[in-house]
Amino acid sequence: MKTLALAAVGGLSLTLLVATSSVADDDNHNGYKRPKRLALPSDAPLLWKEECAACHMLYVPALLPAEAWRQQMQTLEQHYGSNASLDAQQAREILDFLLRSSAANRLPVEPSATAGEPPRISQTRWFAHKHDEVSAATFQRAAVGSRANCVACHHGAERGDFDEDRVKIPR
Amino acid sequence: MSTHWIVALTCCLSLPALAESTHPLLAGYAVQARQQAPQFAGFSAERGKALYFAEVPRNGKTMSCTTCHTADPRQPGKTPAHRNVAPLAPSVNPERFTDLQKVEKWFRRNCDDVYARACTAQEKGDFISWIDSIR
Repeated sequence: MKTLALAAVGGLSLTLLVATSSVADDDNHNGYKRPKRLALPSDAPLLWKEECAACHMLYVPALLPAEAWRQQMQTLEQHYGSNASLDAQQAREILDFLLRSSAANRLPVEPSATAGEPPRISQTRWFAHKHDEVSAATFQRAAVGSRANCVACHHGAERGDFDEDRVKIPR
Repeated sequence: MSTHWIVALTCCLSLPALAESTHPLLAGYAVQARQQAPQFAGFSAERGKALYFAEVPRNGKTMSCTTCHTADPRQPGKTPAHRNVAPLAPSVNPERFTDLQKVEKWFRRNCDDVYARACTAQEKGDFISWIDSIR
């Protein structure tokens, strides 16, 4: 019952977002849109913040669809070349959070170009589109690091703030 | 009875490595090390240091503990994914090597990343003996 009500509210707000974004957003084409509601959920567990930001920046769940997170969590022993394994109980708690807080992301799962790797946020079509004016050389600057290091330019990225007006690309 | 015996034996056998003070995690690793190899003869900070600097070829480059933790574990390091890593040496970062679960998690991950295998209790004890001796 409660779930139904939540789903209804979720569906309504999604409709509203889509309606407004078709006017203001240039990313609505062929039904493929950039992820919405990127803000960090207020119920984000400390466990997730600690475990998923020890080696890299904290990626907010809405950046990938739920199924992509499931694939991430199933392959932690080979996580882009590193062993990021967790004990089963912690993995379960983190997966639960990722699944429920990425529900607003209705995008298809886009597999990584590298076989055997889980999906990469930086290889989604919306990411490519949003960064089409950023050169490969810019991404390789020492102060940027790589396409995976959102915080280099989006200083609020770990809170889910990717507002273009606040982007500062370091020299 | 048998616990006392193990503790007593641990203290004797580990004396050379523990001239100054005994790190709290070493007793447990000594028990494990003896289970894994009955000829266990104590931990060595020298071997622990060698483990830290050992370089392993990986994808045309070399990989070692220093790749992320730098050649001076009293300094902050950086992961390949651009995250800063707090210093590893307990002398400058007292939180290090205080939580066995955390210690085990990072040995599990990092031994696999660097050596493509699990580390033995002997190696873990050697390593802690060395890292804890750095001032």
